Amino acid sequence: MDRRKRFWRWFWLLTVTAAALLAWSGAPLLQVRVAAVFVSVALLATVAELLLIRYPLRPEYRDRGVWLSVSTPIVVATIIGYGWQFGVWLDATVSLTAGLLMVYLRNTRFRWAIVNAAQSVLSAAAGGWAARPILDAPLIGQFLLAVAVALAVYMVVNTLLMSVTIAIVEGARLRWVARQAVLSLPRDIALMAPISAFLGMALLAYGAVGLLGVLAPYLALRQAYIIWAQQQVLYHQTIRSLGFLVQRAHPYTGGHLQRVAQWARRVAEQLGLPPEQCELVYEAALLHDLGKTVLDEQILNKEGGLTPQEWEHIKKHPQLGAEILKDTPFLAPIVPWIAMHHERPDGRGYPFGLKAEQIPLEARIIAVVDAFDAMIGGEAPNQQRPHRRPLSIEDALAELERCVGAQFDAQVVQTFLQVVREWQQHRVIGANT
Amino acid sequence: MQGTWWAIGTAVGSLLALAYYAFVVAPARLHRLRCEGLRAFARLVELRTQGRCGKSDVLADLAGAVAMRLGMRLHERRRLELAVYLRDIGMVAIPYSVLNKTGEPTLAERELLRRHAEISASIAEQIPGMSSVAGIVRLHHVVYSEQPNAPLGAHIISALDDWLRAAEQTDADFATSLLKQGAGACYHPRVAQAILSELSQRSLGGWRELTRSAALWL
Repeated sequence: MDRRKRFWRWFWLLTVTAAALLAWSGAPLLQVRVAAVFVSVALLATVAELLLIRYPLRPEYRDRGVWLSVSTPIVVATIIGYGWQFGVWLDATVSLTAGLLMVYLRNTRFRWAIVNAAQSVLSAAAGGWAARPILDAPLIGQFLLAVAVALAVYMVVNTLLMSVTIAIVEGARLRWVARQAVLSLPRDIALMAPISAFLGMALLAYGAVGLLGVLAPYLALRQAYIIWAQQQVLYHQTIRSLGFLVQRAHPYTGGHLQRVAQWARRVAEQLGLPPEQCELVYEAALLHDLGKTVLDEQILNKEGGLTPQEWEHIKKHPQLGAEILKDTPFLAPIVPWIAMHHERPDGRGYPFGLKAEQIPLEARIIAVVDAFDAMIGGEAPNQQRPHRRPLSIEDALAELERCVGAQFDAQVVQTFLQVVREWQQHRVIGANT
Repeated sequence: MQGTWWAIGTAVGSLLALAYYAFVVAPARLHRLRCEGLRAFARLVELRTQGRCGKSDVLADLAGAVAMRLGMRLHERRRLELAVYLRDIGMVAIPYSVLNKTGEPTLAERELLRRHAEISASIAEQIPGMSSVAGIVRLHHVVYSEQPNAPLGAHIISALDDWLRAAEQTDADFATSLLKQGAGACYHPRVAQAILSELSQRSLGGWRELTRSAALWL
């Protein structure tokens, strides 16, 4: 079954289940008093939902990312204060209203508003049901425990549902996506639990007006999320800016770096590396030639053959690249791959002369993809290397196969051939349709 | 009742901890990460110029201390630190042969080298979130008598950069005497005074450590 069909099946499963839950739990809202509270809380929660924080996904997607909102504590507080039916309807109303506004304001797709609302409904119902037995005893300890349980179950269910959606849409393994998503769960639960408890108390004591009293800590929570998002942006910015410096110094490397990075990530995915590792491979590939910014550009751009001394000068670039990044701890994982991307399985590579398994897999991936792209050259005249004439794709692949075992890793080359063949097939299908 | 007060106390304590984290700890961590990222830029310049430019950790440390003596606020001190790391990044656009020339540079080469501050500022402007730093970077070789109204951060970097270079090439005492002579002419008098106070507070034995030259890799 293709990805699109799977998505739509998942979409209908979520939507129908959520609609059934809403129909089943709708009765309590017919009471006038509860309905009045519902409208006022829903208004506040919708504002909270709309105070979105953009969390970037990948460095090359400038305009794509996940939008985070922090309305969950309000929903959990209402589940505790007014019962799970109230929470389910509140979450449905809030996420659907905010989702539709997002469709209008930010041009997002309607289907995502529906999927998000359905996921919220199911999570709220699960959180509410889990907390119900604890809430029967009217003690403060029980109240706090109920908040913690409702929040934890809500977050776990929501994370799992979101992971399934992302895995279907991105075509990634569910286990990988879920593992990445679950990593931030303890942090999120620890941060939201006090807010939820405080909101619950305020709601029980003063009704919807009580929520206004928790505005300051709520904004603090949002601020914490903003800073996390900024850290992620900063990480990507540093990589992009360093890549920009390489490109500025040597124009032919611009397209080369982007292509190598994308091919390398695809190969890493095909080889079964975990997603976070694939992202690191992408970033390492983007910066693999960083050391060239330190070299003499007259030698790098020299037309014709290079003297042995000039080759020695150029051979310093992997170590120089690693040297540049060595004091930047958050880029530490990629430093050895950059330093070793010119090593060869037969031990005749540079700078260390390592052999086969001594070279990290990630460095072997970059070596193959880098060599391939250097052989085929860029499309634009300024992207072609001064001392080489470009080969055709078929000739370059044949050259990679010829050098397996000596210059390139056999497993990586085989995987890369598959990736290129798939890409060629997609290109032909795309051209025909 | 006792349980209720305990619960309220716990909730309020947690909320205060959250606020402290969100407004104090997390921004400080973000700044540290930003500096670590920019350190790569400084390192790049240091390697490209064979250790002659770009050295930043010592300068950033001293600049922060001097800025504190001058009463600069936290966000201004953070901006100054970022400027220190980015100040010489324009060197990547200067030809390698000019940067690493063994003899005296010609007039044209000198002019080219002088442009690095402007190029650094233009690169800083292109890095999101760094445009506010560009003003300091652009004037980081400012001469007080020519532009007394330049940002205080630029005056601090200018004076400290000269002091560190002189201390490295000769010795710290000579560098300090140059700083004293230049106060009010080359260097902002308040900045020069703050640097002198800071240096006198640091132990003389520490100066050698401070001015130690980075190893040459090329």
